[in-house]
Amino acid sequence: MNRDGAKRYYRKHRKAIVTAASGLLYVGGWSLGYRTGLDAASAAVLVLATVIGGYDIAKTASHEITNRTLGIKTLVTLAAAGAVLIGEYWEAAAVVFLFSLGSYLEGRTMRKTRTALQELLELTPDTATVRREGELREVPAREVEGGEVVVVKPGEKIPVDGDVVDGESAVNQAPVTGESAPVHKADGDEVYAGTVNREGALEIRTTGAGSDTTLERIIRRVEKAQEAQSPTESLIDRFAKYYTPGVIVLAVVAFAVTRNAILSLTLLVIGCPGALVIGPPVSIVSAIGNAARSGVLMKGGEHLERAGKIDLVAFDKTGTLTKGETAVADIEGFGLADDEVLRLAATAEKKSEHHLADAIVDAARERSPAATDGGRAVADAAAPEPSRQSVPDPDDFDVVAGKGVIARLDVAGDAGGSSDRSDGGHELVVGNRKLLDERGVAVPEPVAEYVREREERGETAVHVVRAGTVVGAIALRDELREAAPGVVAALQDAGIETVMLTGDNERTAAAVAEEVGIDDSRAELLPEDKQAVIEAYQADGRVVAMVGDGINDAPSLATADVGIAMGAAGTDTAVETADMALMADDLDRIPYAVTLSKATRWNVLENVGLAVLTVTVLLAGVLTSYVTLATGMLVHEASVLAVILNGMRLLRY
Amino acid sequence: MSDTTQFRVLDFDCPACASTVERVLANAEGVEDVEVHYATGRVEIEYDDDVADPDTFAQTIENQGYTPQPA
Repeated sequence: MNRDGAKRYYRKHRKAIVTAASGLLYVGGWSLGYRTGLDAASAAVLVLATVIGGYDIAKTASHEITNRTLGIKTLVTLAAAGAVLIGEYWEAAAVVFLFSLGSYLEGRTMRKTRTALQELLELTPDTATVRREGELREVPAREVEGGEVVVVKPGEKIPVDGDVVDGESAVNQAPVTGESAPVHKADGDEVYAGTVNREGALEIRTTGAGSDTTLERIIRRVEKAQEAQSPTESLIDRFAKYYTPGVIVLAVVAFAVTRNAILSLTLLVIGCPGALVIGPPVSIVSAIGNAARSGVLMKGGEHLERAGKIDLVAFDKTGTLTKGETAVADIEGFGLADDEVLRLAATAEKKSEHHLADAIVDAARERSPAATDGGRAVADAAAPEPSRQSVPDPDDFDVVAGKGVIARLDVAGDAGGSSDRSDGGHELVVGNRKLLDERGVAVPEPVAEYVREREERGETAVHVVRAGTVVGAIALRDELREAAPGVVAALQDAGIETVMLTGDNERTAAAVAEEVGIDDSRAELLPEDKQAVIEAYQADGRVVAMVGDGINDAPSLATADVGIAMGAAGTDTAVETADMALMADDLDRIPYAVTLSKATRWNVLENVGLAVLTVTVLLAGVLTSYVTLATGMLVHEASVLAVILNGMRLLRY
Repeated sequence: MSDTTQFRVLDFDCPACASTVERVLANAEGVEDVEVHYATGRVEIEYDDDVADPDTFAQTIENQGYTPQPA
């Protein structure tokens, strides 16, 4: 029992024990020789230190050689063996000890990088309380099946993905979306495994458990991203393939020419491409890991390196700079009551899925007498969708993309009443000036005046036309996100130009642009126009990032050098088309993501620079005989640790 | 039938070490595809379960001097 324990302990800490043993023997052997002059004894201890410390290294080296992946351990083994052969026991022991110590420390620090993501997974509880056959049972979280109801008490972590079916609470979603503020959850809202239920008990109908949760999917995706090689990494890898064999040839040639064994053995030691090959992946893995913990998904090193060069960020307006919750701000009837204008517009827009249409229909429902208590009861009984019940259906309906809708209605909004189709009913047009001009509808000056005034406030105004006459106008407002001006300012501080792209008219766009403080705005753009604007910037040599919702803006996200999708926690499509995705609609993450990318790019350059500088200085030192085996190894290992620690700074960015 | 298994190795101490493990696993019987990543320590093995014994994979990694953990 005790023996087993000791064995397990040894196995687990083998590297540390071996390193410590070789270190102690090294110091012992060295002082033996130094203090007493017992040369033979000292040599014996130093050789023992070399053998103990070098056994594992040599074993791996033999695997390297048989598998033709010449690596650092082969070089170290050759150098140590060579040093023993020529009687430089002290150098041999020092090289082995320093290398063991270095790789032990490297392994330990890398472990931190490698487990940074796993910490996220540990947030998911192992067990879940499930309602089964009328009673509550504690089961492993992985075994909860889709459709089962899980009960989560306040203060507990949510074990599965699902929809709230009962209860109300505030949930801290930081592990999944990076949002620091808790999110209110009630009936019908989606919750994610790994998030924390803060206030009230929740009953959740499971939609995903075990490895089929949003958090697990995110982590798998992030790991793939970390493993995808950046251009710098693949360049270095290709270089390293020839580098190591090259160093061995160089050492042999050096020995043939100079007959200086120490010199050629030292070449082997310093020639390891350690810091060069280790630096860039550590920087990138750390940066992607950090981003993931802050609610930003980065697709991979390649995207990250490109993002480091961004000098212009284009924002979609609706839903990105604004909340995307358009609401009717004002209604003005021209020869018709305001409520009637709204009702006509709502009828025409009822079948449209445009966000302006939704706002108009919602407003009509709120104002309509049919939506009062008495009417609601009837509607509830009659249809599953009471929200639109109070608005009559149009008889014919057509969307003119980017302009508005055209609908037909039997008799002025009198749905369900005595319909007389023989007169063809009324044609309703709800749309912008372009649509009216196209259809030859005259816009009286008071209407144009009203529309202009609303647009100058950053609102969007639509005309309501019945049977060829403008009968009113509706002004709609989409509130700015509170973070928008700060985000734009932060990007400007980082030396990045900002542009807003929108389908809105010039006046509305200009008003919003001014409110946000954005550098430039482009208005009246159809989705394909947005793409063209981005291409034009790219043709000017700009590196463009586009921020959008990932669905409507998918083409422009794909065209941009770096596409950044918002609110991606729920939608996989957004993540597919984008290079980066913000898990929440948290605009604040944009400056963070952009500056992190820039910091990463610098970090990679620093690491490559440091590695090249170290090798150059060491090479000069070796050729001038200032540097021998032990010093060479010391500096080499120090440089490897330096690049790892430098890369890991990005974990705490 | 093709099957996939994963391990996590937290103690790779150099990129070449990961490549060596990758080569060794690739040469093991019944292994169809292997990915070993130095930076994340993730090992993914795709194998033919009629031929390969997935229990031996962990031992193979251990023989190379690294500690595989189930992932």
